[in-house]
Amino acid sequence: GTQIRSCKEEFLLSMVPLQQRIRSALAKKGLEEPSNEVAAVISHAVQERLKNLIEKLAIITEHRLEMVKS
Amino acid sequence: VQAARNVQPSTNLVENVSQILTKPRLNDLVRDTDPTLILEEDIEEALLVYTDDFVTRILDGAAAIAKHRHVHTIEVKDVQQFLTRNYGIWAPGFGTDELRP
Repeated sequence: GTQIRSCKEEFLLSMVPLQQRIRSALAKKGLEEPSNEVAAVISHAVQERLKNLIEKLAIITEHRLEMVKS
Repeated sequence: VQAARNVQPSTNLVENVSQILTKPRLNDLVRDTDPTLILEEDIEEALLVYTDDFVTRILDGAAAIAKHRHVHTIEVKDVQQFLTRNYGIWAPGFGTDELRP
């Protein structure tokens, strides 16, 4: 299929170690190496998940500081 | 598994060149998300360990879906299906017909 990429992709995770990690994890399950797109999707997912956690941490910290003030 | 991880000295995580997420990259993300937030070192370490566990969970989940389809490896759609079902995360990926507006 046609791939459309409007800008250069930047990944949160280091791609080479991630691909090694994917390869060895799947090999243990008797699966072959997947396309590089899988690593890209995983990096995006980790970014979303961490962003969500960081946002929550920021809210908790803010509440704690408010409690200290009052 | 958790106990075994705790035994591992935390410096291993920092110095391990093959780690998938580095502290500078994590801090870039923190800065982009909330510029006023500064993470203590313990929290940084915890998030790196969390990332590691999360990737393992994604790979296990996607592998289970792929095996269910009787194919030889995982595809982007297996990862996306796992993430949507379990975490409500929509991760953009190429190689699928679906395009997000």
